[in-house]
Amino acid sequence: MLIGAIIAGIVFGLYYTLVGLGLNLVFGVMRIVNLAHGDFLMLGGIAAWWLFSSFGLHPLWSAVLVIVVFVLAGLPIYYLVVPRLLRSRDSEMLSLILFFGVSQMIEAVTTIGLGATERSLPPRLLGVGPMILFGTRLPKAWIFSAAASAIAVLLVYLYLYRTRLGTLTRAVMVSRDEALATGIDVNFVSAVAFGISIALAGVAGVFAPFILGSITPNMGVAINITAFAVIVVGTLGNPLGTLLGGIIYGVSLMLMQTYLSSWANLLPNLLLIAVLLVRPEGLLGRTVRRA
Amino acid sequence: MRSTLLALGLLGAVAAGSAEAQPAAPSEIKIGALYASSGAYASISMPVFDAFKLWVDAVNADGGAEVKAFGKKIPIKLIAYDDQSSTATAATLYNQLITQDHVDLLIADSGSVLTSVAVPIAKEHKQFLFDVSGTGAAFFTDDNPYIALMADPVSTIWPHYISDFLADEGAKAGIKTVAILYSTNDFTGTQAAALKGFFERDGKVKVIYYQGVPTTTSNYTVLINNIAALNPDAVLELGYVGNDIAFLRNLQDSGNQFRFVFSIYAGTEKDEIEKNVGVSAMTNIFSYVPASNYDYKPEVGMTQKEFHAAWDKKYPPGSGVAFGGNAIYGYMTGLVVGQTLATAKSLDQMDIHDAVFAQSFKLKTLDGTFELRKDGAQIGEVTPLGQLQAAGKDALNLVAVYPPDLANGKAIIGK
Repeated sequence: MLIGAIIAGIVFGLYYTLVGLGLNLVFGVMRIVNLAHGDFLMLGGIAAWWLFSSFGLHPLWSAVLVIVVFVLAGLPIYYLVVPRLLRSRDSEMLSLILFFGVSQMIEAVTTIGLGATERSLPPRLLGVGPMILFGTRLPKAWIFSAAASAIAVLLVYLYLYRTRLGTLTRAVMVSRDEALATGIDVNFVSAVAFGISIALAGVAGVFAPFILGSITPNMGVAINITAFAVIVVGTLGNPLGTLLGGIIYGVSLMLMQTYLSSWANLLPNLLLIAVLLVRPEGLLGRTVRRA
Repeated sequence: MRSTLLALGLLGAVAAGSAEAQPAAPSEIKIGALYASSGAYASISMPVFDAFKLWVDAVNADGGAEVKAFGKKIPIKLIAYDDQSSTATAATLYNQLITQDHVDLLIADSGSVLTSVAVPIAKEHKQFLFDVSGTGAAFFTDDNPYIALMADPVSTIWPHYISDFLADEGAKAGIKTVAILYSTNDFTGTQAAALKGFFERDGKVKVIYYQGVPTTTSNYTVLINNIAALNPDAVLELGYVGNDIAFLRNLQDSGNQFRFVFSIYAGTEKDEIEKNVGVSAMTNIFSYVPASNYDYKPEVGMTQKEFHAAWDKKYPPGSGVAFGGNAIYGYMTGLVVGQTLATAKSLDQMDIHDAVFAQSFKLKTLDGTFELRKDGAQIGEVTPLGQLQAAGKDALNLVAVYPPDLANGKAIIGK
């Protein structure tokens, strides 16, 4: 059972890497916390459900479409909200309040429009039955989701380290003011990062019915808490640290489910507290970040 | 002559006094209710609330509810708030309904979790609580007369047909071990504990796995693998709608197979689960058979067929809330409220209590016979064991398989 839990945890954790990746990218580039991240994930799931139920579109094609639409949607949202926020005295704190409001609005509008009940996609779309991975039975959908997550991590890595826009993005992550002083179009770089961030959330949403069973308009808050734990463990502001955070979360959750199942929902909070007490900079952080 | 006038004067004064003591009829009867339009319990709350609203609208369209205390029909004013599936919000709103809105009758939100906070509040304020489907056994105690369960039997009663079936037909088919996986809340926790007790008492089936998981659990793959490692003959998963969806999907995806698998909502909210899980993942799953599967002959209110038609007219299919057992529970609560108002001596909460309990064993509705234990627990409406059996290529039929007197089909136990 121990080996099975660890293997399942790694695969499950890869999905949560995808969930947290965009949230961490936004924090790293803009130093704001997007509390509506989980709601963008929910919208990605709703989009996949709608595309399948209306047009019969396979979720893998929906994922591609969601990436394009969410990146494009992210640009105007960024210009509408973030530059004003960053001009405020305490943008980090105000972002919590502002995006909490955005989150509530998205949830309310979705509930009014579609109702509060569960929605899902047929399991057969990503293959029925298990795959055996090192002797552990895992749903095929998990493997697809983990693969999508691994591809997303790789693409984010390539974007950050192999493209000019990525280099500029990293410059903004180091110091927004210095990047501005050197003539970098900080707002454009940030807007692209914001678009990528919600696109990553949207893709995670497409796979959510296969990993979490179903989509509901209110799922955003719980997703945010977990995603926040994942990125704090992996280091705030370090998108690639999210990979480590996700895997630690996934393995810990499966071990909790195996040996102490009643307490499994405490896990994100326990991880947060433990990391903040023992290593507040996160497992991959070099110094204690200045709040 | 003087004494006659004095006597007449005294009589007049007494008559005037008694006329003053008779309270004037209110312009409306205020009924307070909570519902969850979002959150984990929305899928069981909204059908109940919509059905109750349907009953209120029908009564008001007929000129109001017959209120014996005032000898006339009085319109109902429904004061309803959205607790968003939050117990903290629900606690505040229950208090508001009692202390600010001064409702005459108080209806709890659906399910044990959102009812759990209403029970102590109602008791403290001596306000009678119409508990729609909060079946947790701990809610019903001899020292609390301010509660009655309307439409579902108390949780300790629900699962006895499961254990009886496994001890009887299951044992004959070679089922010897069982795994129980439950969500840790009053509704499913009580059922799990009751089941464990039944199995231990009967000694025919051995419990080899007994684990609780948070009600928020949305992933069961590792849990199913862990259960499979113990190789039980039967697996009983007790959770809410979201739990059952995730469990049944994960069970199919994992490829693990058990001879007997039970889930609560596969049968009671069949349409909702089928929409999310698909027919193949539900085939041969055992579940409870809700009242919507029986055509009880009601002495009060609509038949199930009439109610279903009224529901479809008010809430057309596809409008967001599916017809199922919970819709019947909401309407059933309305019927009890209507009968209570029609028979209560006054709107004093103990008179409400007496009127509700006076209906016990007499009221027969589309939900079966309403029967209360003296602590308010519902014991009349039964929950037979059913099984979702294939009916054609892409359809399932919920067949009652136990007890024999309520069965309309035979159980298929896996090899």
